[in-house]
Amino acid sequence: MTRRTSTAGRIGIAAAVTALLAFTLFPVYWMISSAFDPEADHRGSEVLPSGFTLDHFSHVLDDGEFGRYLANSALVGLGTVLLSGLLALFAAVAVARFRFRLRTQVLVMILVVQMVPLEALVIPLFLQMRDLELLNSLIGLTIVYLAFSLPFAVWTLRGFVAAVPREVEEAAYLDGCGWWGMFSRILLPLVAPGLVATSVFAFIVAWNEFVFAFVFMQDDSKYTAAVGLHRFFGQYSTDWGAVMAGSTLITLPVLIFFVLVQRRLAGGLAAGAIR
Amino acid sequence: MAADPRKAGPAAPRARAARRAAWARASRPWLLLAPALAVLAVLLFWPLVRVLLLSFQDYGLRQINTGESNYTGLDNYREILGDSFLWTTVLPNTVGFAATCVTLTVVVGTLVALLLQRLGRAWRAICSTAIMMAWAMPAVTGTYVWIWVFDPLNGVVSGGLDGLGLIEPRETNWFTDRWSFYAIATLNVVHHGFPFVAITVYAALLTIPRELPEAATVDGANAWQRFWHLTVPTIRPVFMVVTILSIIWDFKVFAQIYLMPGGAGANPDVLNLGVWSYIESFSRNQYGLGSAIAVLLTLLLLAITVVYVRALSKESDEGDAP
Repeated sequence: MTRRTSTAGRIGIAAAVTALLAFTLFPVYWMISSAFDPEADHRGSEVLPSGFTLDHFSHVLDDGEFGRYLANSALVGLGTVLLSGLLALFAAVAVARFRFRLRTQVLVMILVVQMVPLEALVIPLFLQMRDLELLNSLIGLTIVYLAFSLPFAVWTLRGFVAAVPREVEEAAYLDGCGWWGMFSRILLPLVAPGLVATSVFAFIVAWNEFVFAFVFMQDDSKYTAAVGLHRFFGQYSTDWGAVMAGSTLITLPVLIFFVLVQRRLAGGLAAGAIR
Repeated sequence: MAADPRKAGPAAPRARAARRAAWARASRPWLLLAPALAVLAVLLFWPLVRVLLLSFQDYGLRQINTGESNYTGLDNYREILGDSFLWTTVLPNTVGFAATCVTLTVVVGTLVALLLQRLGRAWRAICSTAIMMAWAMPAVTGTYVWIWVFDPLNGVVSGGLDGLGLIEPRETNWFTDRWSFYAIATLNVVHHGFPFVAITVYAALLTIPRELPEAATVDGANAWQRFWHLTVPTIRPVFMVVTILSIIWDFKVFAQIYLMPGGAGANPDVLNLGVWSYIESFSRNQYGLGSAIAVLLTLLLLAITVVYVRALSKESDEGDAP
């Protein structure tokens, strides 16, 4: 189709691409360039930073304790990934491989659960975690994020498990594997790509989440990165170079992650939406 | 078989073993499902019931500390629904903002998907990487970047407009006015939200067989007709999914409003349902009232989703009929 495009059409497409790139990349560029700009606070509309400095980064890491916040976020994220991957895989095998009563109901329920606005559950979950004395703990936060990422993970993995031919499983049984041997040696490696996709999703949910971390974590040694940035902004609200350095530290891991897995992520999402 | 006593002996344990095997087979899916269902029950269903119960109570600091319940019937709902603040400020903010964001997100996302389809391989890779970068930016850091961009004194926008002589930076603060506040929030939410629509719609466009648009072109259909009569009906399910998801996400926006200057309650004009619920509960310790607002938000979302799904399925039924 591209070959038939007229000159006017080409100019239109070039303009559209320029607008798209400007709109998508400008905030990222402005964040990173301000983080390295020694005169960030008085930058105004200078397109290029006035120089290069790492002062803002050392400020947020030393005075802002961003190292600890990032480590907390990473811990919560990894915990969420491991738990949700394990539980979702079990559940996905159950709904994809077994025919049992209420199977459809369970599937519909998992789909409906995704529609619940989680923000509406802040109050009851706060009270619940308070009763369980898990309010100020990374474990409590991990458990809550697990519940958020589980429905999507089950739904996505179901497709991957269903795509594994039954003959492969039966061959494993014939070779003398038990059910568990088949599961760990045959099924697990074959659904690994699906696990990668759901893991990325679960990690991003945990890494980016704000409300629950903000309500649950009262002790500043337990802040996640997003909450830490909010507290830091409260203290140094006009120190834009430092706020942007903190934002860069939080954004970059996710950014790199997304760009690396973009093809698989897009494919998995599309598959989930169309199926 | 039961009439033959010689066979009854060994058959009984065999039947028992078979029953046990059948029971193991039947219980295995439930054993596999149990951990996931338990997590969902404790962390989604029970809280959902609890927020409903709390919404019928006057639940404050006292009740938090003692754990006792204090039912007051529909008082919370009466208070919220009788408050003109809901009707003149919070509801228009929530609904207007969400409607604008959903429309813009879906339109921009679809346009970008159509653009991606027309690009060559290299430019498509560049553009989709850029889209991924917009998507990857966390809501919290993205919000701070937009605040910085629109910072009244040193931000790039006011600096640029000042340079052109259009505004006086010291007299302009976009975060205090309700309309400009929400315009910035809209920019933030659309920037973060359109990549999901673009990538999903683009993937759906790839599933349309090439012959269809070509045949339509031969028949003399122009680009707009091809899009409206061919592309849209073919990928309607995908449009439905991205629209419903966008509605759900944009109605319950919290961080992008709460973190903006004045968004945390200092400026009541800009509250939406999510932030209002949070402030009533955690800043004013009226957890019952906050829960009632949260229930209203949930019901609103539910109603919109149901109406939307109904309308679309009815429309497609009529469309299918010859």
